[in-house]
Amino acid sequence: MQLGAQRRMIVHAPWGVLIASLAVSLIGLYNLMSAARSMWTSQAIYLGVGIAVLVAVTLVDLRFIQSAAVPIYLLNIGLLLLLKLVGTRAKGAESWLVLGPFRVQPAEFMKIGMVLMMAKYFHDDDRPAAPSYGFLRLLPPLVLAIVPTLIVLVQPDLGTALMMTFTALTLIAFARVKWTVVVAAGVVGLLGAGVIWNDFARPVPEGEKRVTLIRHHMKKHQEGRITGWLEPESDLKGTNYHSMQSKIAVGSGGFAGKGWKEGTQTALRYLPEQHTDFIFSVWAEEHGFLSCLLLLLLYGVILVGSLGVAYQSRDRFGAFVAVGIAAMIFWQVFENIGMVTGLLPVTGITLPLMSYGGSSMVSVMLGLGLLANISMRRHLF
Amino acid sequence: MKLGRSTTGKDLRVRFFWVGGFFVFGIFVLAVNLYRLMVIRHDEFLALSIDNQFKDVRVRAPRGQIRDRRGEVLVDIRPSFDVFITPAFCLKCATEVIPQLADLIGWDEAQKTRVIGAVKAAHGPQRYQPMQVDTDLARDAIDRVNAVVHRLPGVEVDKVPHRNYPAGPALAHVLGYMNEVTQDELTRLNGAVDVQRSPYALGDYIGRRGVERSYEGMLRGKDGWNKQVVDARGKPKEEFPVKEVATPQPGNNVVLTIDARLQAEAERVFPGAAGTIIAVDPRTGYVLAAVSRPSFDPNMLTGRVSAKQLQEMAKDPLQPMVNRVAAQHYSPGSTFKPITLIAGLRSGAYTEHTTAHCTGGFRLGARVWRCHSVHGTVAAVTGLQKSCDTYFYSIANAIGIDAVAAVGREFGLGQPTNFSVAAEVPGVMPDVAYHDRVTPGGYQKGMALNTAIGQGDVDVTPLQLAMMYAALGTGNLYQPQVVDHVETPDGRLIQKTEPKLVRKIDISEDQHRIVIDALSAVVNIGGGTGGRARLKGPMSGILVAGKTGTAQVTRIGDVRLKKEQMDYFERDHAWFAAFAPAEAPEIVVVVLNEHGGHGGSDAAPAASAVFQKFFELKAGDSVAFGPGWSPPPPIKVAAPPPKAVDAGTALAGSPPPPAPAPATAEVPVATPPDTEVR
Repeated sequence: MQLGAQRRMIVHAPWGVLIASLAVSLIGLYNLMSAARSMWTSQAIYLGVGIAVLVAVTLVDLRFIQSAAVPIYLLNIGLLLLLKLVGTRAKGAESWLVLGPFRVQPAEFMKIGMVLMMAKYFHDDDRPAAPSYGFLRLLPPLVLAIVPTLIVLVQPDLGTALMMTFTALTLIAFARVKWTVVVAAGVVGLLGAGVIWNDFARPVPEGEKRVTLIRHHMKKHQEGRITGWLEPESDLKGTNYHSMQSKIAVGSGGFAGKGWKEGTQTALRYLPEQHTDFIFSVWAEEHGFLSCLLLLLLYGVILVGSLGVAYQSRDRFGAFVAVGIAAMIFWQVFENIGMVTGLLPVTGITLPLMSYGGSSMVSVMLGLGLLANISMRRHLF
Repeated sequence: MKLGRSTTGKDLRVRFFWVGGFFVFGIFVLAVNLYRLMVIRHDEFLALSIDNQFKDVRVRAPRGQIRDRRGEVLVDIRPSFDVFITPAFCLKCATEVIPQLADLIGWDEAQKTRVIGAVKAAHGPQRYQPMQVDTDLARDAIDRVNAVVHRLPGVEVDKVPHRNYPAGPALAHVLGYMNEVTQDELTRLNGAVDVQRSPYALGDYIGRRGVERSYEGMLRGKDGWNKQVVDARGKPKEEFPVKEVATPQPGNNVVLTIDARLQAEAERVFPGAAGTIIAVDPRTGYVLAAVSRPSFDPNMLTGRVSAKQLQEMAKDPLQPMVNRVAAQHYSPGSTFKPITLIAGLRSGAYTEHTTAHCTGGFRLGARVWRCHSVHGTVAAVTGLQKSCDTYFYSIANAIGIDAVAAVGREFGLGQPTNFSVAAEVPGVMPDVAYHDRVTPGGYQKGMALNTAIGQGDVDVTPLQLAMMYAALGTGNLYQPQVVDHVETPDGRLIQKTEPKLVRKIDISEDQHRIVIDALSAVVNIGGGTGGRARLKGPMSGILVAGKTGTAQVTRIGDVRLKKEQMDYFERDHAWFAAFAPAEAPEIVVVVLNEHGGHGGSDAAPAASAVFQKFFELKAGDSVAFGPGWSPPPPIKVAAPPPKAVDAGTALAGSPPPPAPAPATAEVPVATPPDTEVR
């Protein structure tokens, strides 16, 4: 490749997204120093690995990635199935694959594999004459999304499965669906809400047994989280403990926060998993409302920037990948902060770039690398 | 490779704005919710975060008592008022709070700087843990602090149960003491048990040494648990109801075989700077008293000891932490001689009347083994009575060291007594094989001679010697024990210690009689070395049988020095071991006065005092309705002369006596026993 082309690639890198991501990562490290003390050094190493992965991904030709989408997708599914055989259990789920000194969560990487696969499908299936997708045409991408999601769901990793579902739905919506599909989706949504209302919220006369549709198929902790979400002030020592302690942490932070390493909820260890899923509560408790807004703003920059990359991409595959990755990040941020602030039920979802954990960090960096790759090669098309 | 269209198409472009708008809306929702929590409801959550949390709160179970055989409390718990500071809540701690506190309690400058240093050193979660800064506040200091405690943020005065040893250093080696459980012990003790409600917590005390340690499992109760609303410091809030999850179970009481009164007397009469007095019941092996000097104060070691004090104790040449009853061994000196005598009798080479002639020494080859005097012709009883070394040299020379060692081992020497509550050393009972193994040049005949008089390599612990004398008196060797039984706080028996017979000694009646006669002669016949152990006054009818010992610590030079002319650590150990009554022993007493001088003058009198006390107590404790009791004779009162009464009063029952009549009737009841005694 010529030098000029290389310089153009550097100029075309999505600097806004990259700088905002780096800023969030550094905030995450600083925050971990308070939350988990010794863990921030490991996290710094994960960040270094993540950045290396990001750079490496930008060096690969996008067309190669596009042609490799099917093998990547199948490899990820293979890894997930392998997990069923040799996975290591942690906190009740078979989510970890142990490779020597490393422990990898294949589900984190499955998300990206799924986005690539769906993007490739929508790219190949481009019919300018008939831009909208009806039920039949949606069948293949739905299958592509449902297979890995189901495997993740039975791990059981409900959180990641939900994230994959929402990411896939965002991509499908983005691909433009017929109004009949929209109506059907609306009906399904209403039915779902109705089922939840029937199973959890419908007033049942004294002494009569509640007739449930799906509730009796749920695991105890999943059921508890939905009831906890619907009745946030109930069972504060049990199912709602996490949610309540998290809300106390966030709410007690106030406008200015209690100060770095001064959070009592953190110091007294009222919140388990505070360094992973509930990391946002540490930031909120110790740094206050304005710093939370700053963090949201940075995520906003990443999301809008990602959509900008998609917008400027002259290639359908690139555009879909960029939207998919943006959707992936958005849903994780939305669900994570939503759950920490009691808006959504508790599911095991990490906050991108903030939560402690190597797999999460590397998979997000992988996604950002793809974004940069798309952005940097837009002049090629 | 086939690519799609090189532009994404106008149709897609509009949807970017839809998706972007959706994302921005999502983030806006999050921001609004954050505003709601962090700004609008801030006060509510702040209050929750510093105030109320549900927590499992430990309710400490009281630890069991240790009592003597009669129920006198030797160890219990008492409340201690301690001052705590929680650094995180102590504002202006070093500049205002601590100086104020120092004035109220009366700390000196050093204490004040120490506390300030400790508070400043706390960091991280430690800052939320209450830190003990002073203990055992006086009543008026508590009042002074409590009066202004609301102006001292982070300061609390709390009542904490504290282990109490009323006897102080007395019996400390047997009772033991307590201190904080270590991190290693925590992981070992709590092991796989529920981490949330572990039996031991950091800061708990655990028994060290003695009964406190070996009966830890019995003495320690089971802590209870309350589910309680606590503030962020983990302190229970009184105004909320308490839900009891597990009731605390108090620890069991351990009752010892020790008689506190005898122990007190033994402590009182102990003559020297270091050493021991042991009293044992020879019929059971139960220890009645066990003095070990110098001792330590368990009240101090139990959480009240400073590093400086520990250092001083470690440097003390008399080693107060060493339990001299069993954890130290000494040359027994002449107290060993009964073993040699029995070995001689058992060999057949010596009878009661076999004599030896003492000219002040015994020649073996080119060397002369010294005797401390010139005794002339002695036999079994006179030889032991006068403690004539020459007599025992001649026995050892005739029968050899192995024959002596065999008897010594039969009496329990050279092996642990299995006295379970305290660490012990096995002592040394040398024989040929031992010397071949240990001594450079191997076994020499002269070693048998040294062993025969309890010098050379033979070493015994005072406890071994006591059990040996018990066996000499009764013919039975028992295992020494100090715990009589364990009972629940309400007095239900859990565990009873039975006497443990180690072995019956293989000794003929005749041999036994000779040994008792000889030991009795030592004390009771003029010219014996133990005359000062004789009992006096009303107890003089009780015969004490025993043996003195003066164990050399260093080689005797050409000139025998007087006690006062030698350095303390070069002076002889004074021993006295005895039992009484000689014919049917009820108590064995061993006195060891380290570097005290002569057994007869520096150990025997103390033993005598212990015997005296024992038999006085026995007389005092004697049963009220024993054989000596006879009921006072009934007093006969003559029936009143018949009187004419009308039918009405006769029907009412007994004749109505005038009011003073019973009083006059009672007076003679009290007098007749009086007159009978006279």
